[in-house]
This record gives sequence, structure tokens and C-alpha cells, in this order.
Amino acid sequence: MFGLIQILVPLLAGLIGAVWVGSRFRRMKRSGLVGAACGGLAGGLGSLIFMAPLDFCTFEPERNWIDAVFGVGLVLVGMAIPLGPLLAWTQQEYHRHLGIRPTPPQHKGIFKQWWLAWLFLLPTLTILVLFLYYPGLDTFRLSTLLTFVGAPRSRFVCVDNFTSLLTDSTYLRSIGITFAISAAIIVFGLTGSLLIATLAYQPIRGATIYRILLIWPYAISPAVAGIIFFIMFNPLGGVANYVLSLVGIPRLNWLGDPNLAPWVVIFASVWKQMGYNILFYIAGLQNLPNDLQEAAAIDGAGAFRRFLSITVPLLSPITFFLVITNMTYAFFDIFGTIDLLTAGGPSGSTSVLIYEIYKIGVSSGNLGKAAAQSIVLFLMVVGLTLIQFRTTERNVTYGG
Amino acid sequence: MNTRRTFLAVVAGLVAASGAAFLAADSFAQSPTDVKVWIAFTDNRLDWAREKAAEFNEQFPQYNVTVEGYGNYEEIQQATDLAIQQNAAPAVVQWFEVGTQRARDFGYFKSIADALGDRTEVNGIPVDFDDFIEPVVSYYTLDGKFTSMPWNSSSPILYSNTAILEKAGIDTPPATWQEVEAACEKIMALPDAPQGCITWPNHGWFYEQWMAQQDAVLANNGNGREGRATELFLDSEPSIAIASWWQSMEDQGYYVYSGRQRDWAATEQAIQTGTVAMAITSSADAANITNAAKENNIDIVTTRMPYNAETGWTGNLIGGASLWLVKDLPKEVEEGALSFMLWLNNTENAAEWHQVTGYLPIRESSVKLLESQGWFEENPNFYTASDQINNSTVTTATRGALLGPFPQIRDVITQTMEDLMLKGGDPAQAMAQANQQANQLLAEYNSLYN
Repeated sequence: MFGLIQILVPLLAGLIGAVWVGSRFRRMKRSGLVGAACGGLAGGLGSLIFMAPLDFCTFEPERNWIDAVFGVGLVLVGMAIPLGPLLAWTQQEYHRHLGIRPTPPQHKGIFKQWWLAWLFLLPTLTILVLFLYYPGLDTFRLSTLLTFVGAPRSRFVCVDNFTSLLTDSTYLRSIGITFAISAAIIVFGLTGSLLIATLAYQPIRGATIYRILLIWPYAISPAVAGIIFFIMFNPLGGVANYVLSLVGIPRLNWLGDPNLAPWVVIFASVWKQMGYNILFYIAGLQNLPNDLQEAAAIDGAGAFRRFLSITVPLLSPITFFLVITNMTYAFFDIFGTIDLLTAGGPSGSTSVLIYEIYKIGVSSGNLGKAAAQSIVLFLMVVGLTLIQFRTTERNVTYGG
Repeated sequence: MNTRRTFLAVVAGLVAASGAAFLAADSFAQSPTDVKVWIAFTDNRLDWAREKAAEFNEQFPQYNVTVEGYGNYEEIQQATDLAIQQNAAPAVVQWFEVGTQRARDFGYFKSIADALGDRTEVNGIPVDFDDFIEPVVSYYTLDGKFTSMPWNSSSPILYSNTAILEKAGIDTPPATWQEVEAACEKIMALPDAPQGCITWPNHGWFYEQWMAQQDAVLANNGNGREGRATELFLDSEPSIAIASWWQSMEDQGYYVYSGRQRDWAATEQAIQTGTVAMAITSSADAANITNAAKENNIDIVTTRMPYNAETGWTGNLIGGASLWLVKDLPKEVEEGALSFMLWLNNTENAAEWHQVTGYLPIRESSVKLLESQGWFEENPNFYTASDQINNSTVTTATRGALLGPFPQIRDVITQTMEDLMLKGGDPAQAMAQANQQANQLLAEYNSLYN
């Protein structure tokens, strides 16, 4: 069925693409008409990437304005997919036209036969396609359906699974919890690891043994860490309350109090990941040039000053790397710890996004909603990583 | 009369078994038909089922019944979903009661009544559904048809630490909410008071029991049994009464909450170790709790689940799961599955199952058998659940609700209760909000089947 909107949207998108790319071509002293044709085609087809499978459902009259705005967003993202590379290419060509050559000439491949390379890639590609790309694409399909695990029937619900998240108070709260817990894990985990690594790096007797003992918790699976902390912080018979009772502090309901439970999760997760962080920091410390330290010492800088002004900045590439790995860890890998420690409770206070997806998708079997949530989480992590690369990299010293 | 019938049944069974043995010997070259049975246990209950399967295979050599165990009811449901999609389904699956509507909608199973037709025996094993206790029959009868084979039915009961109750000057364990509260006041005032007075898992099952006790339905259309339920009544007065009482017990420091939902282990642990004076949990734990407590020198007595004195006691629902027959099986597999299910629930096996676990003896003849053996006199804690169920009045409310997204609605209820206890709030308002959420889940689910 072709309504007005089905013609209007690709037409408008094509027009934008045509004008944009056309003007770029003109700037390159090439045929503006060819450029306009390329851009028009790219923009028009791009706008259909998401809209054709959705059949423009977001613009149906009975849908509200949030859906329409969401639809516009999808059209723009769709347009960006072919237009982005096209515009980047014109930019490159324009620079070449001006005589600037930013990219060195490409090396020729080693393989004489082009198919030989593909043959070697085939096993990896097969696995990637079967277990990563296909499920990934299927997630997009599922996210537009109302469907349950095992259910023989499903219903197309347009973008409801996404837009309903905006008013879902549990979900919104879960976003806040995720960012708070992740931030705490990164901050406490990295500062703690750096301090311990600095101490463990000191030339003392038995340093190797200490280092091995420090790294050891990393070998434990998140689930086991969850069980260990569950037993330790058990309100009735746990050792944490026993220690408190020795110093006369009344029992705390560690896992039953919505204000305390997130801290137990943070503590367990930091402890679990610390070995990994320490390992990298010790390696980093071993590679630091000694001369800067000596020079600073001669200039009269104390140990603390040297640590803050020399060691910490010199370790920034490692810190940057660890921030990213710890963020991925905090977003995805603490699932096992949470599941066994608090099961997302009490009162949802430790239900991070990944756990929320598990609850919706696996426990409740609502595949559509879970698919939508996992796409949002995926985009969040991609976005955060990009922001970090943009902002942090400027402040990172790679030495030299 | 009943004993005679049982006797005849046993004789008939033996004759048929020997006949079957002859037949099997005759076609010895033929390998036995595989009958796969999936159950949601991994503990001694799985061992018991496997022992029984081996016994069955010996008596009926034409079949080879194998029993596989899964972690819990949710896990077995997921495994079945997958198996059915991949055409690798077993013959019999143990399915929990709240999954009943879902199973019907997904079209996984064939009703036992349909599979039996009007036969009165299968392979010489008699079909006598009249012998099953009434609440069990009524729960598993859908659209007037006997749908699945009852197996592990339980009922929540009150477990009390007699020593603590005695010290507080309480002669008999409390029977009502109001008596529980009064007892807790006395217990917590003791100089050596336990850490808490009472606990039970924060699980939807207990809420549903209290709704049934008050003769209140969870949903419209006869609790979803006369037609598909379209509206829930979580905001009804009996529902708010449950939430208010539960919350006030927590506020006064009488109820101990472990902080985890569906935490059966914490409840069991607390009553066994004397951390609490009383606990409400499934009768299926009667054996475990009584024995473990004894090791700690604690005497446990069980009584019926306390009810709201203001609305009275109509009856309790049965809980647990039943055995479902997968549809579209080859004829001989279906026969084997039917035979095994009937045999597993014969008088002797049903009685033994009760003795091993504490699940209800689901046959009247089994109850009689146990009585004649003096079992209940020696183990009074095992009698409570049978007594509670057998005295229940079967009404729309006590037959239990059928809801498509029942497990998810349970989650809404447990989450609401957790919020009420940990964060406070007005029970009426919280239940109204829960009802709205649950109705939305119901509407979403139903929209696939209209």
C-alpha cells in the first residue's frame, strides 16, 4: 500500500541527499548532476533502510507524536548509513583535488589469488555470521514484535517496545542504577588497584608472592564471587555482621536494604576485577622511565608529589585502557555476581540494565521488549566508548 | 470397599504385568519403546523418580522410561519450549500449575482424558480418577476434561518451634493472622527472643493462598476458568488486606525478610536453626525441615496456614506441578507414557511419594493406606497438609486462577510486596498500581490470542 507518506519521505530524503552531495561534487569541479543523482539515490534508499521493514508504521495517524519523532530519527539514521561514507569520500576527493594526500597509498595484498584470502577467512566469517551477525540482525526484527519465548504467535507492534521504555519507570531507574554502579566500580576499582599496585611494586621481600595473591581473585568466575559475597554478607550468619558485632555495631541487613545492597555489589565487583587492574598497573609501573623520577627527586619532589605528577600521568594510557575494559565489565560482566548476590533486588536497587534484560527476556520470556532493551544498551556502550575515545585520548600521554 | 478395589486393582495389575511380560518375552527381539520423562527436580526427588522408573521398566519390559531432571519449573518450561520447536520433545513433562494456561495456548499437550478415551485400564493399570482427592481433580480439570496427571501437590502450612512458643506461654500455634500477631508480640518480648518471629518466602504462591482462603478470585471470568481472564483484581479489598497485614508484620519487626524474592532456602534455614519461632512454607518441606530441626534439637510442630479471621477460611489451593502428556506422540510412546503416569500414581506409589517428601497423598486410597500403617500418628507433621486440603471447600476461588502470563503477574506481586516492606508506602495505592501493571501484562498476552 502506498500512501502519501511512503512517497514523501524517500522523496524528501532523496532531495536532501541530492543537494548535499551535488554541492560537494560542484566544489570538486565535477558534474553536479552526477553527484545529485548519487546523493539522491543514497538518501532516498537510506531513508528506507528502517522504514521499509517497519512499513512507515511510525507515521500512521493513530500513533502519537513520540512515535513520529522516533520515526524521523530512524529516517535520519537510515540516511546517514549510505550518505555518511559518500560524504566522507567526497571530502577525501576534495582534499586530493586540493593536493593534500592524507592517506598513504594502499599496500597491495600478499595473496596472488583474491579468493585465497576469502577462503582463509571463511571459517571465521561463518562463525561470525551464524552466531553474531544473524542473531544481531534478528534482534532488530524481534524488537518490533510482541512475542514470548516458545509462543507460536506474535504480533507486529511497530516501535512500541522502544517508545514504551520512555515511560517505564523501572527501566529509567535501571539506567540510573547502571551508571551509578558502573561509575563507582571504575572509580573505586582503578584508584584502589593503582594504590595496591604501587605498594606491590615496591622492592620488598616476597613481592612475587604478594603479586600472585593479589591477582588471584581475577581467576574466580563472577558467579563464584557472587556466592562468596552472598555468604559473607548474609544478614543472619554472615561474617561481615560478625565482624561488626565484635566492635559493637548492630547487625546490618546488607542484602536486604536497598541502600546497602548496591555497595555490596560494587565491593564484590571491584574485588573481582582488581587482580586484572593490578596486573596491568604493575606492568605499566615496570615500564616507566626511571630518569624522570630521579630528576624530580633531585628537584626536591616528595614521594607523594612524584606519584601524582609523574607516575599517574605516565600511566594514563593504561588507565585509559582500563577505564574502557572496566566499563565493559561493569555494564555486562557483573551479571553473574548480581544474579547470585542480590538477584537484582532488594526492591530493584541492584537491577542494572543487563540484569533487567535478563529478567524481561529470560524470566518473563518477553523477547520483543528484551530485544529493544538490548539494542538500546548496545547503542549506549557504543556511544560511551566513542565519547571516551574523543575526550580521553586528548589527555592521554603515550610518552615519546 | 476401597481396599477391595485396591486389592482387585493390584491383582489385575499383576496379572496384566505377567501377561505383558509374556508378550515382551515373545517379542524379545524388539527393543523396548523409549519414553522420556522430564521433571523439575535434581535432588532426592529425582532419585526417587528414577528408582520408580527402573521398577516400572522391570514390570513392563516393553517400555524403557528414562527420567531427566531440571533445576526448577521455569527451567523445564524453557527446555520444553526449545524441545518442541526442535521436534525433540519428551513424552511427559512436569509442568507447574501457573503455566497451565500458557501450555494450553501454545498447544503443547494432549489432555489425559483425550488420550484415555473411555478406557478403564491401560496395560492392566486401572484408571480410577474418582480415587483422587477432590481439590486435585478440580484443579486439573479444564473445560470439564481431566487434563494432566497430578503428581506433586502441596499446600503451605505453618511450622512452629514448640520450645519458643511454650516459653512465651502459647499453648497452640496461632490459627489466624490476628493470633499470629498476638503471639509475635509475646515472643518478641521474651528476654531471649529469637531474631524474628515469623517468616515465609516472598513468593506469589502465598499471596494466592491468602486470596483463596478469603474466597477472593484473582481475575474475572471465573478466575479465568470459564473464559479467558481479561481483568485482574489485585486492588480488591481482600488483596489489600493481605498487603496491609504483611507490611505491618514487617514494620513491627515480626516478619523477617531475607531481601530476596522467592527465597525458599532462607525460610527453611531460619526455622531449622531457631532464628525464627514460626515459618510458613510448603508442606513438601515437611520431611526436610522436621529432620534438620531435630538435628539442632528443635521440635517442630505443623498446623494449618493462618488465615484472616475477619473474612474466615474457605480453603486452600493446591500448589506444585503435574505431569503433562506431550501431543502428537507415536501411539506406543503415548501408551507407555500413560502407563507410567498411572502406575507412578497408584495407591502404593502415591503413599510412598508422600512419605519421602511431604507432598500430599493425592489418592484417598493412599491416605487410607497410610492411616492403616499408623503413619500419621507417628508423623503428625505430615498430616496437616492433607487435613487442610481435604477440609477445603471447592469454590471458584479455591480452584485457582488460570492466567496466560501468570509467572510475570506473580513477579509484579512479589515486587510490590518487596517495595512495600523495604520502602514503605500505602498498600491500597501500591496494589492499585500493581493491578494496572498486571492488567497490562494480561492485555499484551491476550492480544496474541484474540
